[in-house]
Amino acid sequence: MIPTLKTERLVMRAPVEADAAVYAAFYADAQGSGNYGGPRRADEAYHVLCRDLGHWHLKGFGKWVVTLRDGTPVGGCGLVHPQGWPSHELTWWLLREQRGKGYATEASRAAIAFAHDTLGWPAVETHMRDENTGARRLAERLGGRKTRRETFPDGVTRDIFTLPRRAAGAAA
Amino acid sequence: MIPVIETERLVLRALDAGDLPAEERYWASDRSRFTGGPKAPHEVWRIVAAMLGHWMLRGYGFWAVEEKATGAYCGRVGCWHPGEWPEAEIGWTLMPEAEGRGIAAEAALAARAHAYRHFGWTTAISTIDAENTRSKALAARLGATFERMHAFPQGFALEVWRHPGPEALQ
Repeated sequence: MIPTLKTERLVMRAPVEADAAVYAAFYADAQGSGNYGGPRRADEAYHVLCRDLGHWHLKGFGKWVVTLRDGTPVGGCGLVHPQGWPSHELTWWLLREQRGKGYATEASRAAIAFAHDTLGWPAVETHMRDENTGARRLAERLGGRKTRRETFPDGVTRDIFTLPRRAAGAAA
Repeated sequence: MIPVIETERLVLRALDAGDLPAEERYWASDRSRFTGGPKAPHEVWRIVAAMLGHWMLRGYGFWAVEEKATGAYCGRVGCWHPGEWPEAEIGWTLMPEAEGRGIAAEAALAARAHAYRHFGWTTAISTIDAENTRSKALAARLGATFERMHAFPQGFALEVWRHPGPEALQ
């Protein structure tokens, strides 16, 4: 039911029970998971894994686990829209040692293409807290531009970016 | 993938988006204090998503309990074993309007029998807040007995009630 996507260097596949380890490792890293509600204990990370899978069940889309071509998990990426949230969101998370290699950009492009080609979405959006400069830079690298600002149900006001099907000037 | 179970008065089926208004009512109410509540509606959505994801990870989880005669949503019953749980448990949560008619017992017996027959369980517990007397009365009615306290990593402790195993029920 959850499709697998492949990019040049990455595989995006359904989360499975064994991914509890990579979720736990990600959330155990206070610095790396600070923009994602972390740090969290392993049992809390397991709930996030449950939730990520249940999102697919409820909405028909969600987050993939991202691995290298050899199967090594590096993080996750996908499309989410929790009920009550003012917009859907392209989202990603990477183990800290896997950052700076362009994986989030590569996975995000595949997720954006999936949103347009398979889900038939007219546009893909993402949003971030003001202090999350890393996410803002990635949204800009994907060709995104800020289209509005909203207060979310958790009380946080965030900029919402609209992302193009393909970044201007990017190779086809 | 989530099986449907019928009992005399009830259908146990997969949770879906249509159950959210009832779940939001439960999580907004004082009843939810024994299960980690209260929770805001946007948090309830995530809880229901996690319950569905639990099925996909473990192969079992919480069912929605629906009354056959009226189609009313009565609450949840099911098989629960998230990361931090000491072992797999039978859990239940009832909407206030469904109380007092033996609905939770009927649903929990069906879930337990299903777990023994189809999920390969050889034993089952229920973890219950020490002050949740109604829930403890139901556990006793199902034949479970108090075994010990268990401290959870979240910083609270719950009573562990042990259900009779599959052999004892034959």
